[in-house]
Amino acid sequence: MLAPTDTKVGKTYIDALRLKFPDVVLEESWQADNQATITVDPGSLPAVVEELHYGQGGWLSVVVANDERPLSGHYAVYYVLSMEGVEKSWVVVRAVVDPETLEFPSVTPKVPAAVWGEREARDMFGLRPVGLPDERRLVLPDDWPDDLYPLRKDAMDYRMRPQPTTDTETYKFINEARGETTVVPLGPLHITSDEPGHFRLFVDGETIVDADYRLFYVHRGMEKLAETRMGYDEVTFLADRICGICGFTHSVAYANSVENALGIVVPPRAGAIRSILLEVERLHSHLLNIGLACHFVGFDTGFMQFFRVREKAMTMAELLTGARKTYALNLIGGVRRDILKDERSRTLTLIAELRREVQELVDMLLATPNMRQRTEGVGRLETSIARDYSTVGPVVRGSGHRRDVRVLHPFAGYKGAPLPVHVMEGCDVLSRVLIRTREVFDSLALVEYFLDTMPEGPLLLEGFTFKPHRFALGYTEAPRGEDVHWTMLGDNQKLYRWRCRAATYANWPPLRYMLRGNTVSDAPLIVASIDPCYSCTDRVTVVDVRKQKSMIIPYKDMERYCRERTGSPLK
Amino acid sequence: MIKLLKIILKAGEATAKYPFAPLPISPNFRGKPEYDAKDCMACGACTIACPANALSMETDPDAGTRTWSIFYGRCIFCARCEEVCPTGAIELSDDFELAVFNRDDLFKSATFALAPCRCCGTPFVARKEVDYVIELLVHQGLPREAAEQRRGFYETCPDCRRLQEVDRATRQAGMVHAAPAAAPPAKAAPAEMETAP
Repeated sequence: MLAPTDTKVGKTYIDALRLKFPDVVLEESWQADNQATITVDPGSLPAVVEELHYGQGGWLSVVVANDERPLSGHYAVYYVLSMEGVEKSWVVVRAVVDPETLEFPSVTPKVPAAVWGEREARDMFGLRPVGLPDERRLVLPDDWPDDLYPLRKDAMDYRMRPQPTTDTETYKFINEARGETTVVPLGPLHITSDEPGHFRLFVDGETIVDADYRLFYVHRGMEKLAETRMGYDEVTFLADRICGICGFTHSVAYANSVENALGIVVPPRAGAIRSILLEVERLHSHLLNIGLACHFVGFDTGFMQFFRVREKAMTMAELLTGARKTYALNLIGGVRRDILKDERSRTLTLIAELRREVQELVDMLLATPNMRQRTEGVGRLETSIARDYSTVGPVVRGSGHRRDVRVLHPFAGYKGAPLPVHVMEGCDVLSRVLIRTREVFDSLALVEYFLDTMPEGPLLLEGFTFKPHRFALGYTEAPRGEDVHWTMLGDNQKLYRWRCRAATYANWPPLRYMLRGNTVSDAPLIVASIDPCYSCTDRVTVVDVRKQKSMIIPYKDMERYCRERTGSPLK
Repeated sequence: MIKLLKIILKAGEATAKYPFAPLPISPNFRGKPEYDAKDCMACGACTIACPANALSMETDPDAGTRTWSIFYGRCIFCARCEEVCPTGAIELSDDFELAVFNRDDLFKSATFALAPCRCCGTPFVARKEVDYVIELLVHQGLPREAAEQRRGFYETCPDCRRLQEVDRATRQAGMVHAAPAAAPPAKAAPAEMETAP
């Protein structure tokens, strides 16, 4: 939310790049004083992204493909990097893609974090990243027509549902294990999941040798919907619904991206209110995940207690916004509702109660021997793999990296707020749980801080001018990590392109490394530790490749085994 | 273990008695939008603001009516309608129990009589809206006769008004305008967007 000025934070990265690769940077433009987009020669794309990522301390946040044929005659891909060296800024590397060949060199062999973004560009736009090691579909189902690319501007209406082309599942799960393994599929659906997923665990006895998974069973086509059906000022309400847990943070990130694109400075009071609500959201989200961690180690009493206390965070949201979830408070340029004296004092009372009760519960949880036994050294995400895949949130902080958007790229009201970043070196499930417990107390302190220091003034900036085809990034630190939205405005009061990347999108690809080497009974716990909004799957099919035999185990059995660890369902 | 038991004892019963007792909710809770056709003048502001398309307006040029309707099945309880309504005809209530046995029960609508355009005769604006504008002018201090004199202007549809404007401008510029001024456009009533104030 910084107005474009003459300051150019992060210019040194681009200068260094020009020095190392002469004549590669074709164009340089600034969207905000900490956001630059450089257009590079497509042939040098992988080298440039690699240099920024590994050479200059960048983290690859998201890959955006865009059908720019109506604007300039070709497609384009944008690689968004959060630069976290000496200067903190955003550098977006853009390369144009020829509309005839549709080919561009894949970055994935050099920077693994690009893998999902490039697979998605293949699915949604039909672009071909040459050299991409994994060319399976990511988003589209097996029965989707081969030549229909939903996000191309001339492809389809958002309401169209093409006829399924096949009845069989053709997705190949990848198993990198040497030697024979047994296949344990987990999934695909469970009614309590927000986002169903299908896992295949390749096991040797009880040990997971490798794992692969498939998601996007409930791809809702929100980006297409926003680009075609909705006005740019209505999308904040849609963004609220991206996630059932951390929707408000998406709404802020979206509003942020449009505000950056139009050079709108949000009034400080609105920024503070956004920050308060983001922290309230983090409170309930973290308490939920800590509760689930209890549940998956078989400590259901703890689960119930955390959920009881979490209710206070929900009440706080209802009090401040009028709804427990989907706060619907953002407009482009600010917020719709003020925090008044009575709401403020009631919130402060709730904060005091929460702090006391959560402290009691956390003490009790950490004194429970079972918790430490089940989580220490389990689901290790090595520091180097966390780096390669540009992971985010408590997952990356649990693996020794100091990454928190609130501190790196302050947005909303976070500039100058007292905010410690908790980092642990354990790389395991325990580290992630401990970081979340500490962040709960940070959030409590932050809500108090913002309520005490909230500046006076207007809530909403009105009367700005809509300028077509501007684009910019918006970013927030969601409870699960960095959310990044890339928005390009259209010329009809709509969006030309909206790419929203939820935090967990960055944490899924390295999950297989966390699962490797652990036992089957820890799998649900490890999946839960990245806090993917869901952690359970409906049923388990066990395929013994040696005997060519499969059996189906109800999910209840699998979950019971995770909690009790006796009577393996595999036997 | 002792710690845990203490916490449990202290917590007591956490379960709410709902639905056997009313659930306490916060003031300013955003529940079911309650609509009062008495206050509504079919200006259409809410239908434009609604992000979920739960609100809609349909014009029947033959009957000379316009129907406002809400479909609660699409409502997302954002209160944008309440925010933009100039007359307070729609307000969000505390009611969150929307379950019905019949889908049709999720609709609510109101029909308004339209005034025909004084020039071309196409029904285009709700009578109530014109009345509201006149009252507004009186409220602002304009004498009633002067306000009523403007009625003709407000009851001319945007298309005809545009033609009249062109005609007036050309006459002012001293140019000869051959065609008759009020050639009625053979078009159906314009969308509500054009009639919104």
